[in-house]
Amino acid sequence: MATVTYSKASRVYPGQERPAVNELDLEIGDGEFLVLVGPSGCGKSTSLRMLAGLEDVDAGSIYIDQRDVTHLPPKARDIAMVFQNYALYPHMTVYENMAFALKLRKTSKSEIDRRVKEAAGLLQLEEYLSRKPKALSGGQRQRVAMGRAIVREPQVFLMDEPLSNLDAKLRVQTRTQIASLQAKLGVTTVYVTHDQVEAMTMGHRVAVLLDGVLQQVDTPRALYDTPANVFVAGFMGSPAMNIKTVPLNEQGAEFAELQIPLTREQVAAARAEGGDGKVTVGFRPEDCDLVSPTEGGMPVVVELVEDLGSDANVYGHAALGGNSERFVVRTDRRSMPNMGDTVFVKPRTGRSHVFHATTGSRI
Amino acid sequence: MNPQSTLPPTPAALPPKTGDPGASTGRGRKGPRSEVRLFAGLGHVALAVWAVIVIVPILWTFLAAFKNTSEIFSSPWTLPAELRWENFGRAWTKANVGRYFLNSVIVVSCSTFLTMLLGSMAAYVLARYRFWGNRAIYYLFVSGLAFPVFLALVPLFFVVKNLGLLDTHTGLVLVYTAYSLPFTVFFLAAFFKTLPSSVAEAGLIDGCGHTRLFFQVMMPMAKPGLISVAIFNIIGQWAQYQLPLVLLSNAKDKWVLTQGIADISVNAGYEADWSGLFAALTIAILPMIIVYAVFQRQIQAGLTSGAVK
Repeated sequence: MATVTYSKASRVYPGQERPAVNELDLEIGDGEFLVLVGPSGCGKSTSLRMLAGLEDVDAGSIYIDQRDVTHLPPKARDIAMVFQNYALYPHMTVYENMAFALKLRKTSKSEIDRRVKEAAGLLQLEEYLSRKPKALSGGQRQRVAMGRAIVREPQVFLMDEPLSNLDAKLRVQTRTQIASLQAKLGVTTVYVTHDQVEAMTMGHRVAVLLDGVLQQVDTPRALYDTPANVFVAGFMGSPAMNIKTVPLNEQGAEFAELQIPLTREQVAAARAEGGDGKVTVGFRPEDCDLVSPTEGGMPVVVELVEDLGSDANVYGHAALGGNSERFVVRTDRRSMPNMGDTVFVKPRTGRSHVFHATTGSRI
Repeated sequence: MNPQSTLPPTPAALPPKTGDPGASTGRGRKGPRSEVRLFAGLGHVALAVWAVIVIVPILWTFLAAFKNTSEIFSSPWTLPAELRWENFGRAWTKANVGRYFLNSVIVVSCSTFLTMLLGSMAAYVLARYRFWGNRAIYYLFVSGLAFPVFLALVPLFFVVKNLGLLDTHTGLVLVYTAYSLPFTVFFLAAFFKTLPSSVAEAGLIDGCGHTRLFFQVMMPMAKPGLISVAIFNIIGQWAQYQLPLVLLSNAKDKWVLTQGIADISVNAGYEADWSGLFAALTIAILPMIIVYAVFQRQIQAGLTSGAVK
């Protein structure tokens, strides 16, 4: 069990100007499950590999439990990693795969046996212990990779998109298994994914990265309810939040005929730093209602309706400042419109997110 | 013999499946399918001819090993009248083939071991580690491929002599090793490059140092490549004649098999023991066929399967 601290840690790949990870500052608590999430190329895997010691740290430092590990080799860091492609040793049996690290540490045979059997029990791998990886299914290989990490009883677990090679159903299943396993073992875990659903469901806290820069780190709830900037707002949540930059007046933001009221402070903040009379406003698809034409909603022409069984996503466009802008609304199946209909959309009061039009940060 | 008769039906030669819309329109025209068929047929013919060219002399050698000298010359194309196993005994003891066989085994096993050990280590580092001068060393090895060692036979003789290794197995082993390294490094470097780096990283995290990572993780994964190159080296070094001729000429008790066989035909003059010669040749060929057959089964493509998704 340990804490992990990134202190202004940067990584610049040779021959590149822009750092892959730029001055990352991040504190991960003891026993915490932290998820690093972001689009591909955002530096999340690089950050993890820096912690693992597989990637050099060009500036700043990394601490595990207050111990500076910045320039230590991977084996001196007391970590275990689960790779996206599992990276099992093909010439070893499942048992040997799990026992390998312990053997290298001169753990006694009986202790190795006890730990491997225990991990195998935890992951339902007992009957496969004498098999080679090639005789296992994808899901079983993934569990062996987990088992190899668990038997180490390391200070920190590192997981690099461990579920992305599984099929959709198995992924959901394994997701909950990993989360409950982590809760049971209580080992500090850093988990990389590009899937925001995984991030929301698994992490105690989620760190969102873009272009090597940390955008926001918070609990999934807080991330969802109060995104710090436009990128986080658009990245978290599916379907994505409706985010539009619209003209600003004294009372609020003008969505064509619809007015989204803002407080005086918000209006003042939106005007500061060259806001240029505009403001960026976002509202989630589930935070609006379809109303009757008389109730003052924004007219949206329906292009597509996705019936999800439990509810439905309505995609459409509306004229906004001369442009046709796309909107998504989640609605009850019973009030599901048809393609080509015009519906009137009204965001719920107090559920919209306001961002500065140029800086993109939350107001 | 008609090689055509042994051909399995190519997919194109099979009758079209009913309900295959493409088949009816494609018939009667000289389309790409008939071309494929033609080339497949030609390929089979070429392979069959090649197989005959290779196999017939070997079979002929095996058969001649059971004949006596007069039978070899009087009826070269018939089966031996009786199985004369004494030819082998005579070659083994009288012509000292037993001794030379042992020498060959000693030299080839030592040099193959050294070649594979040094070659795989060099190839691994050149393929997977970045350091200054990496490419230069790699190209130095590769340039050795382009250099015919027999051009340097005279200087080589003096180098070995000055080292005091002339007429020793050690000298021959070292020369064989040096001679085999360029190809070994060239081939294995390409092989090591294809191995998944995440497995190496998993090894590093599990606590391997670089040496252990190589011997316990990467080398087992490279087994198909190692075996291929080892077979190539064993056969090449086993059949080597010129180098031992130059480097072991004065120590007849240290001669290798090829020298011993040549000696049977050269030394006996007009009374050459031809059946003994063919028996000795058979003794020389058989181990290579066995080595190949045994190790060939180990070369399975996809030994890394299961390592990474």
